[in-house]
Amino acid sequence: MPSTEAPEGPPSPAVMETAVVETRALTKVYPGNVTALDGLTVDVAAGVTGLVGANGAGKSTLIKILLGLIPPTEGQAKVLGHDCQAGGEMIRTLLGYMPEHDCLPPDVTATEFVTHLGRMSGLPPTVAKERAAESLRHVGLHEERYRLIGTYSTGMKQRVKLAQALVGDPRLLLLDEPTNGLDPAGRTAMLELIGRIGAEFGISIVVASHLLGEIERICDHLVAIEGGRLLRADTITSFTRASQVLAVEVEEGLAQLQQELAARGLAATLAQRTLLVPLGGDDTYDVVRDAVADLALPLCRLERRRHQVEELFRDEEGAAHV
Amino acid sequence: MSETQGGQSAAGVIHDLGYRRYDGPRLGRAQIVRALVWHSFRSSWGIGRGVKAKIIPILAAVAMCLPAFVNAFAVARGNPRLFGYDVYVPQLRVIVVTIFLAAQAPELVSRDLRSHVLPLYFSRPIRRGDYPLAKYIALTAALLLLIEVPLLITYVGTIASAKNGHGVWGETKALIPGLGVGLMWAVLMAAVGLVLASLTGRRAYATGIVAISCFLTWTVSELLIQSEGGVTSTSTGARIGGLFSPFNLLDGVRIWLGGTSPGDDANPGHFGPLYGVVAVLLLAACLGGLAARYRKVSRA
Amino acid sequence: MTIELRNVSRWYGNVVAVNDVTMSIGPGVTGLLGPNGAGKSTIMHMIAGFLPPSRGELTVAGGHSWHNPEIYRTVGLVPERDSVYAFLTGEQFVTATAKLHQLTDPAAAAVRAIALLDMADAADRKIATYSKGMRQRIKVAAALVHDPQILVLDEPFNGMDPRQRLHMMDLLDKLGSEGRTILFSSHILEEVERLSGTIQVVVAGRLAASGDFRAIRRLMTSRPHVFTVRSSDDRLLGGALIARPAVTAVELAGPPNSGLQVRTSDYGAFCRDIAVLARDHGIRLREVQPTDESLESVFAYLVAD
Repeated sequence: MPSTEAPEGPPSPAVMETAVVETRALTKVYPGNVTALDGLTVDVAAGVTGLVGANGAGKSTLIKILLGLIPPTEGQAKVLGHDCQAGGEMIRTLLGYMPEHDCLPPDVTATEFVTHLGRMSGLPPTVAKERAAESLRHVGLHEERYRLIGTYSTGMKQRVKLAQALVGDPRLLLLDEPTNGLDPAGRTAMLELIGRIGAEFGISIVVASHLLGEIERICDHLVAIEGGRLLRADTITSFTRASQVLAVEVEEGLAQLQQELAARGLAATLAQRTLLVPLGGDDTYDVVRDAVADLALPLCRLERRRHQVEELFRDEEGAAHV
Repeated sequence: MSETQGGQSAAGVIHDLGYRRYDGPRLGRAQIVRALVWHSFRSSWGIGRGVKAKIIPILAAVAMCLPAFVNAFAVARGNPRLFGYDVYVPQLRVIVVTIFLAAQAPELVSRDLRSHVLPLYFSRPIRRGDYPLAKYIALTAALLLLIEVPLLITYVGTIASAKNGHGVWGETKALIPGLGVGLMWAVLMAAVGLVLASLTGRRAYATGIVAISCFLTWTVSELLIQSEGGVTSTSTGARIGGLFSPFNLLDGVRIWLGGTSPGDDANPGHFGPLYGVVAVLLLAACLGGLAARYRKVSRA
Repeated sequence: MTIELRNVSRWYGNVVAVNDVTMSIGPGVTGLLGPNGAGKSTIMHMIAGFLPPSRGELTVAGGHSWHNPEIYRTVGLVPERDSVYAFLTGEQFVTATAKLHQLTDPAAAAVRAIALLDMADAADRKIATYSKGMRQRIKVAAALVHDPQILVLDEPFNGMDPRQRLHMMDLLDKLGSEGRTILFSSHILEEVERLSGTIQVVVAGRLAASGDFRAIRRLMTSRPHVFTVRSSDDRLLGGALIARPAVTAVELAGPPNSGLQVRTSDYGAFCRDIAVLARDHGIRLREVQPTDESLESVFAYLVAD
């Protein structure tokens, strides 16, 4: 029985369907037999993609390989159609990278710094100056950009890092833990910024993050890596598909409601302060509504439960290869 | 880029301030490296860094140039040129170059190491080796300026009081090899200073390492020469004593190549070629060390 | 086993890091939140006995924490900074900590603690080879080796990947339900929301709020509550809602079929009205959600004040 559902997921930007990053059996083994990547095969589509789950070694190794900085032990990788080994320089022209760690000198102004890096990206002098000013404006740094970076808060420093990644007009942005060290307000602001870049600027983005909530919020796709291998790669909407469970919360009378629903043929289970009602069909909604109304209970929440990305990591030894 | 809203007459215009693509020309690797060289060269003189950064470079330059001005006065009063172009004022040169190197080499490389900014360079369209190359060229150029400008001032100061064209020609003939020696100095000392400074991100330590290395090796070398009889001695010890310090090494090469002014070194005699070889090896080792230093950048 | 703060202040010269804070942290898991520089770390350091309060009373399990090494029998501390000896293996580090606690069988305690944190495989490698998340886990293992009743963790999930984080959250949850007192600080609200029943919010050195965040939200009566309602006939339902005294505004949000935004000045009255109204008008209710009851919204309100 089809039910009308509200549109799911954020609207995807209209982009070409070629993958921005492709890897085939990508393997990297460091001396001392440390395997960082183990036969990773994945395609990353255009749009905003979250990269999650890789432990420290795997993620930074993958990034270095994509940037053409180290060679893989086996397998191959392509970014924007260029091979990472042969076309490393071309890739680095097209890519903007925002590292995870602190990488800003304290004794220059943001403007000078981003302008200099713009020159390092190959922009002619006046263009570098202009684009630096624009990038800093886009990330929300205004008069502050004439102050020394050493005086900046963490949030402002993260923005400078993002601005230098944007200054060269990249086709692809690689953001490594962009909300690292930010407090909740700063985090929200950064996520909005990234979302805007993906949606309005038309730049594809790969966001490496440990925070699944953030990824669900701003990404269209997800690539989950574990133990150097692909765990799963899919659209976010497929991860957060609505489940067949209705969650009902009332300010009081939860137990009463549970009984009433049972009397009406719905076997609800209690989970902390919520009742989970199996969604048999559309009329389940009405039964619940009537039960609540008849009992004159205060209804404070009614929603169809969604799956979460997190469930991927709750599976026991979940290292299924896709 | 701008869109007109409404009709033609007195209509407002809303400009699109959104993100702009860049489709213009992009400079290649060579020009990027050139930009980095220029940027680093300016840093080595403290330009674009605030007032404090300029103190040492300017003091060094002034100190280095003083003898040249003194010479100009002396020559104007009828004295001969006070010193040779190929040695200038040896002790002053050693001290000033040491100070400049110790202060500015860290400025070029230790700063970047400390702020972990290298991944931002290496994620751009240059090669690993381009970064140290650019820094090396910049520091060599800076040292060249520091060393050659006083020579040029000396030259100008001397020929200003020259009696005739023959005098000018004589001065010019003496200047050229002097400039050559200066070039050798810049080329070798920049490599030595950079590789030592690149050992650490802490400016103070880097300065210390460079200064102490230069000073200690020079002291050892001098002691050895002195203990073996001084600069006029012909004992083996005195002859090879200069190998232990880059400054005296350069002096030895100078003498071997025909330099006549008395310097800090004893005459290497038949050890001359050894000086040449050691100098080249030292240069290669320093540049190789520098390249190796930047080949592995652990943070990405 | 409670941690009690009474009128605790801590200042450094003119800078007041903690300003007259009174709070009580009991068994279970409590999250300590606040913007950067709000004083969270200072409070944790005082609880851990690294700093004395400049004023006020701070007791941990009935005793003072300052200059009282006995406290460390009952308290386990996981600081934010990297405070491990990288040249030791994980096992050596935890065993050493166990010995420092003068446990009767340090090796066994270490093995237990390491297993609890799922680090048995990596325990014989040097800590220098660990990833950030693994370092965190070994720190927690060392903090748990003496089976403390009170556990204080400063940003414990920093750098952990999702699987490690879920594992750690489950562990803390379990320890909390065993009756231990667990206090952790975090910036990542989605973790705090998930894990703790009670939160303590510190803003500019002062305690801004404590308790269950949803209860805190209800207490913010000066701000109208906002609900998202989706139904089979939004417009009709909207009309019925606006007739109710508790409802101050109804907005048909954006694209059709994306529901109503309802502002209400009386949370309880709205909750009682909504199902009844829907039933009486024959409208199917698909979704009723308080839009700003997330920890994130509550936190934003508290901080903005």
